[in-house]
Amino acid sequence: MIQIRARGLRKLFRTGFTMRALEAVRGVDLDVKDGEIFGFIGPNGAGKTTTIKMLTGLIHPTDGEAWIQERSVTDPSSRRHLGFLPEGTYFHEYLTGRELLDFHARLLGLPRDVRQQRIPQLLERVGIPHAADMRIRNYSKGMRQRAGLAQALVGDPDILILDEPMSGLDPLGRKDVRDLILALRDEGKTIFFTSHILADAEMICDQVAIIVRGKIVHQGYLDDLLGQESQGVELVVEGIDEALFEELKAVAQRAVVQGPRFLFEFADEQEAEKALDRMRDAQGRIRSLVPRRRSLEDLFVEETKKETRA
Amino acid sequence: MTGLNRILVVAHNTYREAVREKLLYNLLAFAALMILSSIMLAKIHLGYDERIYYDVGLAAIALFGVLIAIFVGINLLYRELAQKTVYTMLAKPLHRWEFVTGKYLGLVSLLALEISLMSCLFLSVVWYKDASFPLELLYAIELIFMELVLITGVALFFSSFTTPYLAAMFTLGIWMIGHVLGDIRDFGNLPDAGHIKPVSEALYWTLPNFDRLDLKGPAAAGEAIEISSVLMRTCYAMLYSGILLIGSIVLFRRRDFR
Repeated sequence: MIQIRARGLRKLFRTGFTMRALEAVRGVDLDVKDGEIFGFIGPNGAGKTTTIKMLTGLIHPTDGEAWIQERSVTDPSSRRHLGFLPEGTYFHEYLTGRELLDFHARLLGLPRDVRQQRIPQLLERVGIPHAADMRIRNYSKGMRQRAGLAQALVGDPDILILDEPMSGLDPLGRKDVRDLILALRDEGKTIFFTSHILADAEMICDQVAIIVRGKIVHQGYLDDLLGQESQGVELVVEGIDEALFEELKAVAQRAVVQGPRFLFEFADEQEAEKALDRMRDAQGRIRSLVPRRRSLEDLFVEETKKETRA
Repeated sequence: MTGLNRILVVAHNTYREAVREKLLYNLLAFAALMILSSIMLAKIHLGYDERIYYDVGLAAIALFGVLIAIFVGINLLYRELAQKTVYTMLAKPLHRWEFVTGKYLGLVSLLALEISLMSCLFLSVVWYKDASFPLELLYAIELIFMELVLITGVALFFSSFTTPYLAAMFTLGIWMIGHVLGDIRDFGNLPDAGHIKPVSEALYWTLPNFDRLDLKGPAAAGEAIEISSVLMRTCYAMLYSGILLIGSIVLFRRRDFR
């Protein structure tokens, strides 16, 4: 089943005194399937947040339509099984973490017994059980992000739309959020999220869409987008002299000195094989030899540059 | 869950936020000072004790009620938009009309509390000074509350499409004009008024007539007030507030939250 669908979604803003037209989103089509983690990535100002706001009913599309679980996003009932974390965490500062979740649970119509059972569980799950009775205004940035995630999960939604869920988190916090997203997927939930941290997105996404200047330039499953074939070979060695380093540097795509080690990137395996032979002759020590796959970052940079030039 | 429940959840949260406003307590403190000052003023104006208690007490309830309605009311809706707390609320199955109605009811509950507190203090002064308490004073207080309900409607209407500063200025302007609409109409009816007449008539029939809700003078003077007259004025305020609420909802529904 398609959980989130968009067809020809477009948004035109009028800005400034002269009401100049700014096309923030230009005909976005999306299909997010049940139980998928869908990464929506793009540079700043690409139209990610505007698209998300159209999906959550905060912005009216100029053209096109979108549906959540087959219900038009213009109908608030489409958000019955939706959890949303906006970019930046905006809460009523005077509430405690527990009160915040209770308020959002009451908006969703959850009965008191469900609220009393679920709220402590959720605070525990996002890692802030100790801050349950602390006012939000005293939360750190990371704690606010975790409270925001708990708020998105309070209705036990089928679909989660998370705008930059890892923003403001330290490496441990990012890992917690990644693990949480994966666990939610395992529970059968569909997750649609944006991120600037491409390594995180690459680690957890099933499907990815890259949006540049309001238009989706690439969309598909990660394996299909990045391909399986090697994009080159990375070789790390020790114990070679400067003359050999210079010789290999001439044939490598990149050569870097890392203390006692030398890192070379070769365009293909044949070049790497030749370098290995020279290394053995010179009695150098091989520390690692890794085929290099195209990363999401490579694809992102390529597509963004291509679109910007166009 | 019904729409009414969601409205009540928003109203409760609005009320909870409003009672934490420092401005509210500052204004309430000034109102209390003004009501208590009537004891001193009565000593200066010998022989008019009761009239002074009534005039000063009712004026304090009305004036500070209006200031609270405008400044606290406008701030609350604006903050919800400026601090973007509205995002997570409207991304739930909450209709925008439910959100606006909930905000309005939350503010009206706050005003009811505020009027009750100030009235209690006013009554305490009257009781302490052994003055009489005619029923007409309660009618006047009820109409002050209706005036605040209507002003909140005006404030909500303006804050649904403009900045809080402008919304406060517009609301204050409408409130002041709304107290002199009768005079404006009379001015338009003067023989040499010329082309002003259509303007004064348009203002008279379109803007909220706050003068109709002002029975402080007759109540303080001990004049008899018919209950039917109070009910008619109450209906007027409620009907006008309903129209403003609908207007606010229409404007709010069209809004994009960028």
